[in-house]
Amino acid sequence: MKKLTCIICPNGCVLDVGSADGGIKVSGNLCPKGEAYARAEVISPKRTISSSIRVIGGDSEIVSVRLDRAVPKDMIFPVMDAIRRAHASAPVHIGDVLIHDVAGTGADVIAIEDIS
Amino acid sequence: MAEYKDAVIIGGGPAGLAAAIALDKLGVHDIVILEREKELGGILRQCIHDGFGLQRFGRSLSGPEYARIFIDEVIERGICFHTDTAVISLSPDRHVKAVSPSGLIEYDAGAVILAVGCKERSRGSIMIPGERPSGVFTAGSAQAYMNLYNRFPGHEAIILGSGDIGLIMARRLTLEGVHVKAVFEILDHPNGLERNIAQCLDDYGIPLFLNHTVTDIHGNSRLEGVTVCKVDDCLRPVKETAEFHSCDTLILSVGLRPDAALLDGAGIMIDPRTGGAVVDEHFMTSVPGIFTSGNGLHVHDLADFASLESEHLAVSAAGFLKDGLHNEMDVDVSCGNGVGHIVPQKIHSADGFSLSLRASSVMDDAVLRISQSGKDILRKKIRRVRPSEMLMVDIAGGLVSPDGNVEVEFI
Amino acid sequence: MLHSFDAVIIGGGVVGSAIARELSRYDLSIAVLEENTDVVCEASGRNSAVVHGGFAYDRNSLKARFCVEGNRMMDQLSSELGFRFIRCGKVLVGNTDEDMKQLERMMAQGFDNGAEGLELIDDARLHELVPAVNGRFAMFSRNSGILDPFLFTINLAENAAENGVKYFFSSKVISIDCRQNSYLLHTENDDFSARWVFNAAGKGAKAISDMLGIEGYRVIGSKGNYLVLDKKLGPLLPMPVYPVPSNTYMGIHVTPTVDGNVTVGPDAITTDDFSYYGVPADKMEYLRKSASTLWPHIEKKDVIRTFSGILSKWIDDNGVIQDFRIEVRDDIAPNAVNLIGIESPGLTAAVPIARYAISLMKERSDIKEKKDFNPFHRNVRRFAEMSDCEKSRAIASDPRYGSLVCYCENVTEREIIDAIHNPLGVHTLTGIKYRTRAMMGGCQSGFCQMKIEQLIEKELGMRPEDVRYMRKDSWILSGKMREGIDG
Repeated sequence: MKKLTCIICPNGCVLDVGSADGGIKVSGNLCPKGEAYARAEVISPKRTISSSIRVIGGDSEIVSVRLDRAVPKDMIFPVMDAIRRAHASAPVHIGDVLIHDVAGTGADVIAIEDIS
Repeated sequence: MAEYKDAVIIGGGPAGLAAAIALDKLGVHDIVILEREKELGGILRQCIHDGFGLQRFGRSLSGPEYARIFIDEVIERGICFHTDTAVISLSPDRHVKAVSPSGLIEYDAGAVILAVGCKERSRGSIMIPGERPSGVFTAGSAQAYMNLYNRFPGHEAIILGSGDIGLIMARRLTLEGVHVKAVFEILDHPNGLERNIAQCLDDYGIPLFLNHTVTDIHGNSRLEGVTVCKVDDCLRPVKETAEFHSCDTLILSVGLRPDAALLDGAGIMIDPRTGGAVVDEHFMTSVPGIFTSGNGLHVHDLADFASLESEHLAVSAAGFLKDGLHNEMDVDVSCGNGVGHIVPQKIHSADGFSLSLRASSVMDDAVLRISQSGKDILRKKIRRVRPSEMLMVDIAGGLVSPDGNVEVEFI
Repeated sequence: MLHSFDAVIIGGGVVGSAIARELSRYDLSIAVLEENTDVVCEASGRNSAVVHGGFAYDRNSLKARFCVEGNRMMDQLSSELGFRFIRCGKVLVGNTDEDMKQLERMMAQGFDNGAEGLELIDDARLHELVPAVNGRFAMFSRNSGILDPFLFTINLAENAAENGVKYFFSSKVISIDCRQNSYLLHTENDDFSARWVFNAAGKGAKAISDMLGIEGYRVIGSKGNYLVLDKKLGPLLPMPVYPVPSNTYMGIHVTPTVDGNVTVGPDAITTDDFSYYGVPADKMEYLRKSASTLWPHIEKKDVIRTFSGILSKWIDDNGVIQDFRIEVRDDIAPNAVNLIGIESPGLTAAVPIARYAISLMKERSDIKEKKDFNPFHRNVRRFAEMSDCEKSRAIASDPRYGSLVCYCENVTEREIIDAIHNPLGVHTLTGIKYRTRAMMGGCQSGFCQMKIEQLIEKELGMRPEDVRYMRKDSWILSGKMREGIDG
């Protein structure tokens, strides 16, 4: 039996995750997303992150970015390394893919604001 | 030489933008948004983490993206807004004075909507003893330095207070290579959302110490470290437990309060519990025609709810512009057992409305009771009550009578 | 590098800067050596900011004489230098027969000292002057007042600089070589030679005195802690309220500031550590409790800040606090004016002290007044204090007057930029704060600090890691998160 806090929504349900009949059994969740989260968390935990990428020639030195999908938790620091090394040229538009398939995770790093 | 506007909306963050759009949809087009920063979006501009919009849009967005949806709609609808325009006074007769690089601007408004947001408690307001070196930041200012200005606040950080911005910053600093040694919280429960404890602290092995606080700050120039003590049941530091922790950065995440700067000048009554205005179920303050919502009214846990509240406000403001003031009753709403604060604090009509409240302590399987003169209006079972989470309860029309206070309590 | 000057003043606090300003009336090359990055980092910026009447000092003392003189000239100084001074009066509140006897002694002493406008007042008059005060009677000193302690010192210094005085910051004097007709001063950075030296080093005055060969002074520190209350309290307190004082300690008092805040303090704790300004938790509570017996409006929730200051008191072998000592020891250190034990009422008395110190130089050296001394100083013009009409005109003349940076105190971008380019070349965050009031409001810099830091970088071409909060090593930022590719 393991306790997890669901991070999918602000409810933050406390989930009890245990094994039963060779499968995974989840309780404490208010919605089906909680169950899915718990299963993923036990098998292969994933996270998404936000950060900043250097912009060249813009009215701001950086543009805020996020991953377009969650990546395996142990890939977060490799992803951060790629983000730290990257740069973009102004103008940048919201939704622009600034790094494609970052660190081989399949996730894209996208701009979340405009920089002119 | 004041210009007339049906509505002047002070603040272009999630509350102000939502109010403006809702008013426009309701047919109130002669409106203007005044935003003191150089861009619309309010504090969301620096909240680059995700988690916004889940309630409203069913997907997880970052702060700037959430704001962008509203900003795009404001532009699409041709709603008038001025940035770099700071309101310096508001009078009870709804005269608004603002400064901008193009000059002093004055409006006479049919309705004023205060969507001014909140400010962070500072070191002074919680009276942390010790020296005054550099390196002590509020979580929001550290967040702005990093996310807006590309600046690092330091190398080794300790975080005081477990508010959401502090937790978010613990993760952000860690991802950027700043060593976050620990988070200390004076209360026996975290101040931020559970999910942020999980994904911002637990994920990165950052320890959270409950019942601990910073009792001394060391360093004549730059911060050299802090002394941390355990606190007893009355939140008094226990001297024998004092421990020195070296760090060059102290991040304070010790609470938010509505920005009440404009309230005094307009003679608006303030609720000491929320720190914001006293409002009725129509989000009208004690001064007719001046409305307020969002974090400038009471601090919300989610921006989604600030936007939602402002849309309710817009309906009331549009009604006021059309029909004027119609108070049918004057009933006080009071906080009982386990209730930290409540909005609205006044009820002026038999209309249905939504009640927002914060609990003052952690409770499981609690019953929220809303009553008037000993008679139940509503009882609601709530599985999990956390001070960090805002609770909202809808009250149907016709349930409140003109006689006696409405009491809200946990039983 | 060696710089040569006719006169070097060690210490740029209120006394050093008053000497600099008064000496800049003469045809001399003058330098001020200050160990900090600004002129108000120590006692000059850490006090009650009260202009004293002169009744609380021993008869025939320099303290009494210069305090009375300083009080009289404060209106003129205020109008020349542009710092705010309010002659609001003050009350010393008593309850017991013993209090009354002490107040009568103060009255008599004040009369002999030449302090004017003193009267004993009854309960009714006291409460007419200060409605909420606790007390049965009081001594009212009509001529006492309050001033802006930051701008008093800063404007003396900036006016001195405008009249040709050179300020050198981060320049702590480490040793002094006494030569035939001059002194050679070694600092952390450069060396300075001077025909005349003024020791106005405040907390460092004993060390400098020793370097000059004038040894044997005993100096102790007396640390006072203060609370600062929110601006909403200011209107409830029309003037400072003191308990009945002794001749050496004023007691914990409540004082309105010229900006409408209220300060509570100071206690007086003997210390030999002149650099520890920490305010301990128990002292905060003690101040609140103690001052609440005088004035009932002091609540924890209204405290926006704490601070402390340390006075350097000269004591004799028995530990008795002595008068100001201002001397030229021709036998040991000719052409060096040595100032020891400059403590309260040093703020009130700063300019008379300076003039007296210069008179000792004049007795020994032929110095000529210059024709083009300009006694007037212009502050950074404050937007918040302009009328609507002036505000409109200001914005029309420069749109940066229409862009607010500090929302609590309504300080504009233009004022911040003016302050960054001050005549002393001070560019710390606190330097900007004292000159503009930005960051002094309710949010205590939460919203504006970043913008001010950015303006400092931009205006002066500085790197983020080089911007300072107050002291030499008080860096604010450790650098850029994403380093530049295009600079």
